[in-house]
Amino acid sequence: MLSLEKVEVAIQGARILRGVDLELPAGGRLALVGRNGAGKTTTMRAIMGLVPLVGGAIRFDGRDLARVPAHRRTALGIGYAPEDRRLFPTFTVAENVRLPAELLGLPRGELEARLDRVFELLPELRELADRKAGALSGGQGKMAALARALVTGTRLLLLDEPFQGLAPALARRYGEILARLVERERAMALLVSESNPELLIPFVDRVATIERGEIVGLAPAPRLAPP
Amino acid sequence: MGLLLLLAVLDGLAYAGQLFMVAVGLTLVFGVLKILNVAHGSLFAIGAYVAATLIGWFGAEELSLLALAIAALAVGALLGPSIERGLLARIYDKEHVLQLLVTFALFMILEDLQKLLWGVQPRFEDAPVRLLGQVEVGGIFYTAYQLLLLPGVALVALLLLVWFLRRTLLGRSIVAVTHDREAAVAIGIDARFVYLSTFTIGAGLAALGGALAAPTTSLVPGIGVQMIVLSFAVVATAGLGQIEGAAVTALLIGLARSLAVYFAPELEVVVPYLLMVAVLLIRPAGLFGRRELRRV
Repeated sequence: MLSLEKVEVAIQGARILRGVDLELPAGGRLALVGRNGAGKTTTMRAIMGLVPLVGGAIRFDGRDLARVPAHRRTALGIGYAPEDRRLFPTFTVAENVRLPAELLGLPRGELEARLDRVFELLPELRELADRKAGALSGGQGKMAALARALVTGTRLLLLDEPFQGLAPALARRYGEILARLVERERAMALLVSESNPELLIPFVDRVATIERGEIVGLAPAPRLAPP
Repeated sequence: MGLLLLLAVLDGLAYAGQLFMVAVGLTLVFGVLKILNVAHGSLFAIGAYVAATLIGWFGAEELSLLALAIAALAVGALLGPSIERGLLARIYDKEHVLQLLVTFALFMILEDLQKLLWGVQPRFEDAPVRLLGQVEVGGIFYTAYQLLLLPGVALVALLLLVWFLRRTLLGRSIVAVTHDREAAVAIGIDARFVYLSTFTIGAGLAALGGALAAPTTSLVPGIGVQMIVLSFAVVATAGLGQIEGAAVTALLIGLARSLAVYFAPELEVVVPYLLMVAVLLIRPAGLFGRRELRRV
Protein backbone atom coordinates (compact mmCIF):
# COMPACT_ATOMS: atom_id res chain seq x y z
CA MET A 1 0.00 0.00 0.00
CA LEU A 2 2.61 2.58 1.12
CA SER A 3 6.21 2.36 0.13
CA LEU A 4 9.06 4.76 0.66
CA GLU A 5 11.99 4.13 -1.67
CA LYS A 6 15.30 5.78 -0.84
CA VAL A 7 13.51 8.93 0.27
CA GLU A 8 15.75 11.94 0.78
CA VAL A 9 14.66 15.25 2.24
CA ALA A 10 16.72 18.38 2.86
CA ILE A 11 15.50 21.40 4.78
CA GLN A 12 17.44 24.64 4.43
CA GLY A 13 20.40 22.77 3.02
CA ALA A 14 20.57 20.20 5.84
CA ARG A 15 19.92 16.59 4.82
CA ILE A 16 17.23 15.30 7.20
CA LEU A 17 16.27 12.00 5.54
CA ARG A 18 19.00 9.94 3.89
CA GLY A 19 17.54 7.20 1.74
CA VAL A 20 14.63 6.03 3.90
CA ASP A 21 13.10 2.73 2.78
CA LEU A 22 9.83 1.56 4.34
CA GLU A 23 6.99 -0.75 3.31
CA LEU A 24 3.55 -0.75 4.85
CA PRO A 25 0.89 -3.10 3.49
CA ALA A 26 -2.87 -2.61 3.96
CA GLY A 27 -3.72 -3.45 7.55
CA GLY A 28 -0.04 -3.21 8.57
CA ARG A 29 0.90 -1.38 11.78
CA LEU A 30 4.39 0.05 11.83
CA ALA A 31 6.08 1.95 14.63
CA LEU A 32 8.78 4.41 13.67
CA VAL A 33 10.97 4.96 16.68
CA GLY A 34 13.98 7.13 17.23
CA ARG A 35 15.33 10.03 19.23
CA ASN A 36 14.23 13.61 18.77
CA GLY A 37 15.63 14.93 15.51
CA ALA A 38 16.12 11.45 14.03
CA GLY A 39 13.69 12.16 11.16
CA LYS A 40 10.36 10.72 12.34
CA THR A 41 8.33 13.90 11.84
CA THR A 42 10.04 14.65 8.52
CA THR A 43 9.13 11.16 7.29
CA MET A 44 5.47 11.83 8.11
CA ARG A 45 5.58 15.30 6.53
CA ALA A 46 7.19 13.84 3.41
CA ILE A 47 4.36 11.30 3.08
CA MET A 48 1.84 14.16 3.39
CA GLY A 49 3.72 16.22 0.77
CA LEU A 50 4.54 18.98 3.25
CA VAL A 51 8.26 18.88 2.48
CA PRO A 52 9.70 18.31 -1.00
CA LEU A 53 11.78 15.23 -1.73
CA VAL A 54 15.26 15.75 -3.07
CA GLY A 55 15.53 12.08 -3.95
CA GLY A 56 13.65 8.80 -3.96
CA ALA A 57 9.93 8.21 -4.25
CA ILE A 58 6.87 7.64 -2.13
CA ARG A 59 4.17 5.39 -3.59
CA PHE A 60 0.64 4.78 -2.39
CA ASP A 61 -1.15 1.88 -4.06
CA GLY A 62 1.65 1.93 -6.62
CA ARG A 63 0.97 5.56 -7.48
CA ASP A 64 3.87 8.01 -7.23
CA LEU A 65 2.73 10.64 -4.71
CA ALA A 66 5.01 13.22 -6.36
CA ARG A 67 2.14 13.59 -8.84
CA VAL A 68 -0.46 14.12 -6.12
CA PRO A 69 -0.51 17.66 -4.66
CA ALA A 70 -0.28 17.73 -0.85
CA HIS A 71 -3.86 18.92 -0.38
CA ARG A 72 -5.23 16.02 -2.46
CA ARG A 73 -3.57 13.28 -0.42
CA THR A 74 -6.39 13.22 2.13
CA ALA A 75 -8.71 12.25 -0.72
CA LEU A 76 -6.66 9.04 -1.12
CA GLY A 77 -7.69 8.07 2.40
CA ILE A 78 -4.66 9.38 4.28
CA GLY A 79 -5.03 11.13 7.65
CA TYR A 80 -2.29 12.82 9.65
CA ALA A 81 -2.22 13.85 13.30
CA PRO A 82 0.90 15.99 13.87
CA GLU A 83 2.87 15.84 17.09
CA ASP A 84 1.89 19.35 18.20
CA ARG A 85 -1.83 18.90 17.30
CA ARG A 86 -2.00 21.95 15.00
CA LEU A 87 -5.74 22.47 15.53
CA PHE A 88 -7.30 25.74 14.36
CA PRO A 89 -7.75 27.59 17.67
CA THR A 90 -10.75 29.79 16.79
CA PHE A 91 -12.71 26.82 15.43
CA THR A 92 -14.69 24.59 17.75
CA VAL A 93 -13.73 20.95 18.10
CA ALA A 94 -16.67 20.01 15.89
CA GLU A 95 -15.59 22.50 13.20
CA ASN A 96 -12.00 21.23 13.32
CA VAL A 97 -13.15 17.65 12.86
CA ARG A 98 -15.80 18.44 10.27
CA LEU A 99 -13.71 20.64 7.97
CA PRO A 100 -11.58 17.89 6.35
CA ALA A 101 -14.73 15.83 5.73
CA GLU A 102 -16.44 18.80 4.06
CA LEU A 103 -13.35 19.40 1.93
CA LEU A 104 -13.67 15.88 0.57
CA GLY A 105 -17.05 16.89 -0.84
CA LEU A 106 -18.76 13.80 0.56
CA PRO A 107 -22.54 13.49 0.23
CA ARG A 108 -24.21 14.68 3.44
CA GLY A 109 -25.26 11.22 4.61
CA GLU A 110 -21.81 9.76 4.12
CA LEU A 111 -20.21 12.75 5.82
CA GLU A 112 -22.41 12.42 8.90
CA ALA A 113 -21.84 8.65 9.02
CA ARG A 114 -18.10 9.19 8.90
CA LEU A 115 -18.23 11.77 11.71
CA ASP A 116 -20.45 9.47 13.80
CA ARG A 117 -17.93 6.70 13.41
CA VAL A 118 -15.15 8.99 14.64
CA PHE A 119 -17.13 10.27 17.63
CA GLU A 120 -18.14 6.70 18.50
CA LEU A 121 -14.46 5.95 19.00
CA LEU A 122 -13.85 9.19 20.91
CA PRO A 123 -17.08 9.77 22.86
CA GLU A 124 -15.45 12.36 25.17
CA LEU A 125 -15.18 14.69 22.17
CA ARG A 126 -18.96 14.90 21.84
CA GLU A 127 -19.08 16.84 25.10
CA LEU A 128 -16.30 19.14 23.89
CA ALA A 129 -17.78 19.59 20.41
CA ASP A 130 -18.70 23.25 20.95
CA ARG A 131 -15.52 24.23 22.76
CA LYS A 132 -12.94 26.31 20.89
CA ALA A 133 -9.86 24.25 20.08
CA GLY A 134 -7.71 27.03 21.58
CA ALA A 135 -9.32 26.33 24.96
CA LEU A 136 -8.56 22.59 25.03
CA SER A 137 -6.05 20.98 27.35
CA GLY A 138 -3.08 19.18 25.79
CA GLY A 139 -4.74 15.78 26.13
CA GLN A 140 -8.07 16.96 24.76
CA GLY A 141 -6.20 18.55 21.86
CA LYS A 142 -4.49 15.23 21.09
CA MET A 143 -7.88 13.51 20.99
CA ALA A 144 -9.31 16.20 18.69
CA ALA A 145 -6.26 15.96 16.41
CA LEU A 146 -6.71 12.18 16.26
CA ALA A 147 -10.40 12.64 15.41
CA ARG A 148 -9.55 15.10 12.64
CA ALA A 149 -7.02 12.67 11.17
CA LEU A 150 -9.47 9.76 11.38
CA VAL A 151 -12.02 11.64 9.27
CA THR A 152 -9.79 11.34 6.20
CA GLY A 153 -7.46 8.56 7.31
CA THR A 154 -9.67 5.66 6.38
CA ARG A 155 -6.89 3.74 4.62
CA LEU A 156 -3.66 5.09 6.12
CA LEU A 157 -3.32 6.86 9.45
CA LEU A 158 -0.15 8.73 10.37
CA LEU A 159 0.24 9.55 14.06
CA ASP A 160 3.27 11.58 15.04
CA GLU A 161 4.29 11.08 18.68
CA PRO A 162 0.72 10.64 19.92
CA PHE A 163 1.77 10.04 23.53
CA GLN A 164 4.15 12.99 23.70
CA GLY A 165 3.29 15.30 26.61
CA LEU A 166 0.33 13.26 27.87
CA ALA A 167 -0.14 12.67 31.59
CA PRO A 168 -0.10 8.93 32.50
CA ALA A 169 -3.89 8.68 32.85
CA LEU A 170 -4.45 10.36 29.50
CA ALA A 171 -1.74 8.23 27.87
CA ARG A 172 -3.59 5.13 29.11
CA ARG A 173 -6.87 6.46 27.70
CA TYR A 174 -5.18 7.26 24.38
CA GLY A 175 -3.77 3.74 24.34
CA GLU A 176 -7.24 2.27 24.88
CA ILE A 177 -8.56 4.31 21.96
CA LEU A 178 -5.71 3.15 19.71
CA ALA A 179 -6.33 -0.45 20.73
CA ARG A 180 -10.02 -0.14 19.84
CA LEU A 181 -9.13 1.59 16.59
CA VAL A 182 -6.75 -1.11 15.35
CA GLU A 183 -9.28 -3.75 16.38
CA ARG A 184 -12.12 -2.01 14.54
CA GLU A 185 -10.30 -0.83 11.39
CA ARG A 186 -8.46 -3.98 10.40
CA ALA A 187 -7.80 -2.92 6.80
CA MET A 188 -6.42 0.47 7.79
CA ALA A 189 -2.65 0.84 7.77
CA LEU A 190 -1.06 2.65 10.71
CA LEU A 191 2.29 4.43 10.83
CA VAL A 192 2.98 5.79 14.27
CA SER A 193 6.12 7.45 15.59
CA GLU A 194 7.32 7.68 19.15
CA SER A 195 10.51 8.29 21.07
CA ASN A 196 9.52 5.63 23.59
CA PRO A 197 8.84 2.39 21.64
CA GLU A 198 7.33 0.54 24.60
CA LEU A 199 4.20 2.71 24.39
CA LEU A 200 3.52 1.52 20.85
CA ILE A 201 4.22 -2.18 21.10
CA PRO A 202 0.60 -3.20 21.89
CA PHE A 203 -0.65 -1.60 18.66
CA VAL A 204 1.97 -2.46 16.05
CA ASP A 205 3.30 -5.53 14.32
CA ARG A 206 6.69 -4.14 13.31
CA VAL A 207 9.12 -1.57 14.66
CA ALA A 208 11.43 0.47 12.43
CA THR A 209 14.25 2.38 14.07
CA ILE A 210 15.41 5.63 12.52
CA GLU A 211 18.68 7.36 13.34
CA ARG A 212 20.02 10.50 11.70
CA GLY A 213 17.62 10.16 8.82
CA GLU A 214 18.32 6.49 8.08
CA ILE A 215 16.38 3.34 8.89
CA VAL A 216 18.86 1.31 10.93
CA GLY A 217 16.62 -1.51 12.07
CA LEU A 218 13.34 -3.21 11.22
CA ALA A 219 12.00 -5.99 13.40
CA PRO A 220 8.71 -7.61 14.40
CA ALA A 221 7.21 -6.02 17.49
CA PRO A 222 8.01 -8.09 20.56
CA ARG A 223 5.00 -9.90 22.01
CA LEU A 224 3.98 -8.69 25.42
CA ALA A 225 3.93 -11.13 28.27
CA PRO A 226 0.37 -11.97 29.31
CA PRO A 227 -0.69 -9.97 32.37
CA MET B 1 -20.22 73.31 19.97
CA GLY B 2 -22.96 70.65 19.82
CA LEU B 3 -23.45 71.30 16.12
CA LEU B 4 -19.73 71.03 15.42
CA LEU B 5 -19.56 67.79 17.36
CA LEU B 6 -22.45 66.34 15.35
CA LEU B 7 -20.75 67.36 12.10
CA ALA B 8 -17.47 65.86 13.23
CA VAL B 9 -19.16 62.55 14.10
CA LEU B 10 -21.03 62.40 10.77
CA ASP B 11 -17.83 63.17 8.83
CA GLY B 12 -15.96 60.63 10.92
CA LEU B 13 -18.48 57.89 10.19
CA ALA B 14 -18.30 58.51 6.45
CA TYR B 15 -14.52 58.54 6.47
CA ALA B 16 -14.34 55.45 8.69
CA GLY B 17 -16.49 53.58 6.17
CA GLN B 18 -14.03 54.23 3.35
CA LEU B 19 -11.04 53.56 5.53
CA PHE B 20 -12.45 50.25 6.77
CA MET B 21 -13.00 48.98 3.25
CA VAL B 22 -9.35 49.51 2.33
CA ALA B 23 -7.89 48.47 5.69
CA VAL B 24 -9.89 45.25 5.93
CA GLY B 25 -8.63 44.15 2.51
CA LEU B 26 -5.08 44.89 3.58
CA THR B 27 -5.40 42.98 6.85
CA LEU B 28 -7.14 40.02 5.18
CA VAL B 29 -4.36 39.72 2.62
CA PHE B 30 -1.69 40.01 5.31
CA GLY B 31 -3.43 37.45 7.52
CA VAL B 32 -3.39 34.80 4.80
CA LEU B 33 -0.46 35.61 2.51
CA LYS B 34 1.74 37.10 5.26
CA ILE B 35 2.70 39.83 2.81
CA LEU B 36 2.24 43.51 3.64
CA ASN B 37 1.03 44.73 0.26
CA VAL B 38 2.23 48.30 -0.25
CA ALA B 39 0.46 48.37 -3.64
CA HIS B 40 -2.91 48.00 -1.89
CA GLY B 41 -3.33 51.79 -2.05
CA SER B 42 -2.89 51.68 -5.81
CA LEU B 43 -5.85 49.30 -6.08
CA PHE B 44 -7.87 51.88 -4.13
CA ALA B 45 -6.75 54.61 -6.56
CA ILE B 46 -7.41 52.52 -9.67
CA GLY B 47 -10.85 51.62 -8.31
CA ALA B 48 -11.55 55.35 -7.93
CA TYR B 49 -10.31 56.24 -11.44
CA VAL B 50 -12.19 53.37 -13.10
CA ALA B 51 -15.37 54.37 -11.22
CA ALA B 52 -15.03 57.99 -12.34
CA THR B 53 -14.41 56.85 -15.93
CA LEU B 54 -17.46 54.57 -15.93
CA ILE B 55 -19.68 57.28 -14.43
CA GLY B 56 -18.58 59.52 -17.31
CA TRP B 57 -19.20 56.79 -19.89
CA PHE B 58 -22.62 55.81 -18.54
CA GLY B 59 -23.71 59.46 -18.51
CA ALA B 60 -27.06 58.98 -16.81
CA GLU B 61 -27.03 59.86 -13.10
CA GLU B 62 -29.29 56.86 -12.35
CA LEU B 63 -26.56 54.47 -13.54
CA SER B 64 -23.80 56.07 -11.48
CA LEU B 65 -24.15 53.74 -8.49
CA LEU B 66 -24.00 50.77 -10.84
CA ALA B 67 -20.77 52.24 -12.23
CA LEU B 68 -19.23 52.16 -8.74
CA ALA B 69 -20.12 48.49 -8.26
CA ILE B 70 -18.85 47.49 -11.71
CA ALA B 71 -15.59 49.38 -11.16
CA ALA B 72 -14.93 47.55 -7.88
CA LEU B 73 -15.78 44.15 -9.35
CA ALA B 74 -13.76 44.72 -12.52
CA VAL B 75 -10.62 45.93 -10.74
CA GLY B 76 -10.82 43.14 -8.15
CA ALA B 77 -11.46 40.42 -10.73
CA LEU B 78 -8.84 41.55 -13.24
CA LEU B 79 -5.99 42.98 -11.17
CA GLY B 80 -6.38 40.68 -8.14
CA PRO B 81 -5.63 37.35 -9.84
CA SER B 82 -3.10 38.94 -12.23
CA ILE B 83 -1.02 40.38 -9.39
CA GLU B 84 -1.32 37.31 -7.16
CA ARG B 85 -0.49 34.70 -9.82
CA GLY B 86 1.87 36.84 -11.86
CA LEU B 87 3.92 38.34 -9.06
CA LEU B 88 3.17 37.42 -5.45
CA ALA B 89 3.05 33.64 -6.02
CA ARG B 90 6.72 33.86 -6.98
CA ILE B 91 7.83 35.45 -3.70
CA TYR B 92 5.86 33.64 -0.98
CA ASP B 93 8.91 31.74 0.20
CA LYS B 94 11.22 34.76 0.01
CA GLU B 95 12.41 37.12 2.77
CA HIS B 96 9.92 39.69 4.09
CA VAL B 97 12.21 42.52 3.00
CA LEU B 98 12.16 41.29 -0.58
CA GLN B 99 8.38 40.90 -0.48
CA LEU B 100 8.04 44.48 0.76
CA LEU B 101 10.36 45.75 -1.97
CA VAL B 102 8.47 43.88 -4.68
CA THR B 103 5.08 45.29 -3.60
CA PHE B 104 6.66 48.75 -3.33
CA ALA B 105 7.96 48.39 -6.90
CA LEU B 106 4.47 47.34 -7.98
CA PHE B 107 3.05 50.39 -6.22
CA MET B 108 5.43 52.67 -8.18
CA ILE B 109 4.51 50.96 -11.47
CA LEU B 110 0.78 51.27 -10.79
CA GLU B 111 1.16 54.94 -9.80
CA ASP B 112 2.83 55.67 -13.16
CA LEU B 113 0.21 53.61 -14.95
CA GLN B 114 -2.50 55.83 -13.45
CA LYS B 115 -0.76 58.96 -14.77
CA LEU B 116 -0.39 57.32 -18.15
CA LEU B 117 -4.04 56.33 -18.39
CA TRP B 118 -5.81 59.20 -16.66
CA GLY B 119 -3.29 62.04 -16.85
CA VAL B 120 -2.38 64.41 -14.02
CA GLN B 121 -5.35 66.77 -14.19
CA PRO B 122 -7.87 66.42 -11.33
CA ARG B 123 -11.04 64.52 -12.19
CA PHE B 124 -14.31 64.90 -10.34
CA GLU B 125 -17.47 62.88 -10.89
CA ASP B 126 -20.10 63.43 -8.22
CA ALA B 127 -23.18 61.99 -9.97
CA PRO B 128 -23.85 59.40 -7.21
CA VAL B 129 -23.80 62.16 -4.56
CA ARG B 130 -26.28 64.26 -6.55
CA LEU B 131 -28.43 61.21 -7.25
CA LEU B 132 -28.96 60.43 -3.57
CA GLY B 133 -29.57 64.07 -2.57
CA GLN B 134 -29.38 65.44 0.96
CA VAL B 135 -30.83 64.57 4.35
CA GLU B 136 -31.36 66.86 7.32
CA VAL B 137 -29.88 65.86 10.67
CA GLY B 138 -30.41 68.27 13.59
CA GLY B 139 -30.88 71.19 11.26
CA ILE B 140 -27.79 70.35 9.20
CA PHE B 141 -28.08 69.29 5.58
CA TYR B 142 -25.76 66.44 4.82
CA THR B 143 -25.31 64.39 1.65
CA ALA B 144 -27.14 61.05 1.90
CA TYR B 145 -24.21 59.51 0.05
CA GLN B 146 -21.78 60.28 2.86
CA LEU B 147 -24.20 59.97 5.74
CA LEU B 148 -25.93 56.75 4.73
CA LEU B 149 -24.31 55.04 1.76
CA LEU B 150 -20.64 55.02 2.84
CA PRO B 151 -21.16 53.75 6.42
CA GLY B 152 -23.96 51.47 5.19
CA VAL B 153 -21.83 49.79 2.54
CA ALA B 154 -18.98 49.41 5.04
CA LEU B 155 -21.32 47.78 7.55
CA VAL B 156 -22.75 45.43 4.92
CA ALA B 157 -19.21 44.58 3.75
CA LEU B 158 -18.20 43.78 7.34
CA LEU B 159 -21.25 41.58 7.95
CA LEU B 160 -20.85 39.79 4.62
CA LEU B 161 -17.17 39.22 5.23
CA VAL B 162 -17.75 37.83 8.73
CA TRP B 163 -20.55 35.60 7.41
CA PHE B 164 -18.37 34.44 4.51
CA LEU B 165 -15.40 33.62 6.74
CA ARG B 166 -17.48 31.77 9.34
CA ARG B 167 -20.17 30.06 7.28
CA THR B 168 -18.74 29.10 3.91
CA LEU B 169 -16.25 26.35 3.12
CA LEU B 170 -13.92 28.74 1.30
CA GLY B 171 -14.19 31.25 4.15
CA ARG B 172 -13.31 28.65 6.77
CA SER B 173 -10.48 27.43 4.56
CA ILE B 174 -9.15 31.00 4.48
CA VAL B 175 -9.31 31.22 8.28
CA ALA B 176 -7.60 27.83 8.59
CA VAL B 177 -4.75 28.94 6.32
CA THR B 178 -4.46 32.15 8.38
CA HIS B 179 -3.95 30.04 11.50
CA ASP B 180 -1.62 27.40 10.11
CA ARG B 181 -0.90 26.92 6.42
CA GLU B 182 0.76 23.53 6.75
CA ALA B 183 -1.97 22.06 8.95
CA ALA B 184 -4.55 23.42 6.51
CA VAL B 185 -2.86 21.73 3.55
CA ALA B 186 -2.56 18.51 5.53
CA ILE B 187 -6.35 18.32 5.98
CA GLY B 188 -7.00 18.94 2.28
CA ILE B 189 -7.11 22.71 1.79
CA ASP B 190 -5.71 23.99 -1.50
CA ALA B 191 -3.60 26.85 -0.12
CA ARG B 192 -2.81 28.10 -3.64
CA PHE B 193 -6.50 28.64 -4.36
CA VAL B 194 -7.01 30.20 -0.93
CA TYR B 195 -4.21 32.70 -1.62
CA LEU B 196 -5.69 33.57 -5.00
CA SER B 197 -9.21 34.00 -3.62
CA THR B 198 -8.07 36.05 -0.63
CA PHE B 199 -5.99 38.43 -2.69
CA THR B 200 -8.82 38.88 -5.18
CA ILE B 201 -11.27 39.67 -2.36
CA GLY B 202 -8.77 42.09 -0.80
CA ALA B 203 -8.18 43.79 -4.16
CA GLY B 204 -11.94 44.05 -4.69
CA LEU B 205 -12.44 45.65 -1.27
CA ALA B 206 -9.68 48.20 -1.93
CA ALA B 207 -11.20 48.98 -5.32
CA LEU B 208 -14.64 49.28 -3.73
CA GLY B 209 -13.22 51.73 -1.19
CA GLY B 210 -11.74 53.74 -4.07
CA ALA B 211 -14.92 53.60 -6.15
CA LEU B 212 -16.96 54.84 -3.19
CA ALA B 213 -14.47 57.62 -2.51
CA ALA B 214 -14.44 58.79 -6.14
CA PRO B 215 -17.65 60.89 -6.01
CA THR B 216 -16.54 62.68 -2.83
CA THR B 217 -13.11 63.91 -3.82
CA SER B 218 -11.00 65.18 -6.72
CA LEU B 219 -8.98 62.35 -8.20
CA VAL B 220 -5.34 63.29 -8.53
CA PRO B 221 -2.17 61.21 -8.80
CA GLY B 222 -1.12 60.00 -5.37
CA ILE B 223 -4.59 59.63 -3.83
CA GLY B 224 -3.76 56.04 -2.99
CA VAL B 225 -0.76 57.07 -0.89
CA GLN B 226 -2.68 58.79 1.90
CA MET B 227 -5.19 55.96 2.03
CA ILE B 228 -2.57 53.20 2.23
CA VAL B 229 -0.64 55.01 4.97
CA LEU B 230 -3.82 55.48 7.00
CA SER B 231 -4.81 51.87 6.31
CA PHE B 232 -1.46 50.71 7.66
CA ALA B 233 -2.21 52.76 10.78
CA VAL B 234 -5.61 51.06 11.12
CA VAL B 235 -4.19 47.58 10.56
CA ALA B 236 -1.26 48.09 12.95
CA THR B 237 -3.49 49.64 15.63
CA ALA B 238 -6.08 46.85 15.35
CA GLY B 239 -3.52 44.05 15.17
CA LEU B 240 -2.46 42.36 11.94
CA GLY B 241 -5.07 40.01 10.48
CA GLN B 242 -7.99 41.23 12.64
CA ILE B 243 -11.21 41.73 10.63
CA GLU B 244 -13.66 42.98 13.28
CA GLY B 245 -10.77 44.79 14.96
CA ALA B 246 -10.11 46.67 11.73
CA ALA B 247 -13.73 47.86 11.70
CA VAL B 248 -13.59 49.19 15.25
CA THR B 249 -10.19 50.77 14.69
CA ALA B 250 -11.24 52.37 11.39
CA LEU B 251 -14.13 53.91 13.31
CA LEU B 252 -11.79 55.13 16.06
CA ILE B 253 -9.31 56.62 13.63
CA GLY B 254 -12.01 58.06 11.38
CA LEU B 255 -13.68 59.77 14.33
CA ALA B 256 -10.40 60.93 15.85
CA ARG B 257 -9.29 62.45 12.56
CA SER B 258 -12.63 64.11 12.05
CA LEU B 259 -12.74 65.54 15.58
CA ALA B 260 -9.25 66.91 15.00
CA VAL B 261 -10.39 68.59 11.77
CA TYR B 262 -13.13 70.46 13.66
CA PHE B 263 -11.49 71.14 17.01
CA ALA B 264 -7.71 71.06 16.46
CA PRO B 265 -7.06 71.28 12.72
CA GLU B 266 -3.30 71.49 13.17
CA LEU B 267 -3.41 67.91 14.53
CA GLU B 268 -5.49 66.42 11.71
CA VAL B 269 -2.62 64.67 10.00
CA VAL B 270 -0.90 63.31 13.09
CA VAL B 271 -3.87 62.17 15.19
CA PRO B 272 -4.21 58.70 13.57
CA TYR B 273 -0.50 58.04 14.01
CA LEU B 274 -0.43 59.34 17.59
CA LEU B 275 -3.24 56.90 18.32
CA MET B 276 -1.30 54.11 16.62
CA VAL B 277 1.93 54.84 18.52
CA ALA B 278 0.08 55.06 21.84
CA VAL B 279 -1.62 51.70 21.26
CA LEU B 280 1.53 49.95 20.05
CA LEU B 281 3.54 51.20 23.05
CA ILE B 282 1.00 49.64 25.41
CA ARG B 283 -0.06 46.64 23.29
CA PRO B 284 2.61 45.78 20.69
CA ALA B 285 0.31 43.24 19.00
CA GLY B 286 -2.39 45.91 18.53
CA LEU B 287 -5.75 46.46 20.21
CA PHE B 288 -7.20 43.14 19.07
CA GLY B 289 -4.09 41.19 18.13
CA ARG B 290 -2.57 38.31 20.03
CA ARG B 291 1.11 37.70 20.47
CA GLU B 292 2.19 34.78 18.35
CA LEU B 293 4.30 32.08 19.87
CA ARG B 294 7.29 31.39 17.72
CA ARG B 295 7.43 27.73 16.69
CA VAL B 296 10.90 26.28 17.22
